[in-house]
Amino acid sequence: MANCPVCDAEVEIAPDTVVGELMTCEDCGCELEVLTLEPVKLGEAPEAEEDWGE
Amino acid sequence: MSRSGGKALKIGLLHSLIRKDEKMLLDAFKQAGIKPVMIDDRKLILDFKTAPDVDVILERSINHSRALHALRLFESAGVKCVNSFDVARVCGDKMLTTAALYEHNVAQPASRVAFTEASAIEAIESLGYPVVLKPAVGSWGRLLSKVNDRDAAETILEHKTILGSYHHSIFYIQEYVEKADRDIRTFVVGDECIAAIYRTSKHWITNTARGAVASKCDVSDEIAQISLDAAKACGGGVVAVDLFETPDGLLVNEVNYTMEFKNSVDTTGVDIPGAIVAYAAAVATQ
Repeated sequence: MANCPVCDAEVEIAPDTVVGELMTCEDCGCELEVLTLEPVKLGEAPEAEEDWGE
Repeated sequence: MSRSGGKALKIGLLHSLIRKDEKMLLDAFKQAGIKPVMIDDRKLILDFKTAPDVDVILERSINHSRALHALRLFESAGVKCVNSFDVARVCGDKMLTTAALYEHNVAQPASRVAFTEASAIEAIESLGYPVVLKPAVGSWGRLLSKVNDRDAAETILEHKTILGSYHHSIFYIQEYVEKADRDIRTFVVGDECIAAIYRTSKHWITNTARGAVASKCDVSDEIAQISLDAAKACGGGVVAVDLFETPDGLLVNEVNYTMEFKNSVDTTGVDIPGAIVAYAAAVATQ
């Protein structure tokens, strides 16, 4: 478990989670990024930039 | 998985954020017995002569500009990349894609490029309303404008010129193709068109990133052939090709070089990430 940096709700961290992974806080809906794994630290995911995509 | 000499394959995964697509690729690597070397583009420092010690780099950056520059410098340092810098360069710029498709006689919508508001109006009216104005570099249907008449054209061109950065004043104009609420997205890996989906929406923009619904599309000979022709025109590798269905046949709309497939694996039943990993492994051993 880790805490959402926006609303402080608990966010479940799956065993295969990797650094950089995107996830969504189920409480506030904020998109989060896994910053570190040991210990687990979450941050707000960056906003989409103009050259993002396929 | 190992090379013929028994040495383990070393495959780099160039990434930034790990989206569902990249997680699926990581699972595919695991299934293939490969532990990829994770290369976060946000931490890269490139010195023009060295690159990660890997046999091949699979590019999955979310930023086109980072992917483009990193691929160029990785290749310069002697590392093979999937996709190559040239494929990223051509697919990442709609004007270069259009030019490549023309040079290889691949059917596509009519399009024009103009550099001033006046010449853009002339180009738009030579195609006839409606047209679609697109940024040459961009994705997920962002900043696309369907221009229905001269009033809209003048307004959008003025806004793009004044409010946009300089590359928004290079006007890429495409004829509007009526497409019966859907287009086709195909997935090409090497010499094979492995899967296809319909992307259906009541909105004229049918990107799944904009809410279009994915459903399975059988890969007909015609779909496979034009997809492979488009991929070849852009340099090959691993690409997703967007097709319009018209009464006169299929047209290639765009070719994408960091293809997203998360909505397409269950829909098609095709292991797209597995095919990508197998292709990267094959390139590594060439």
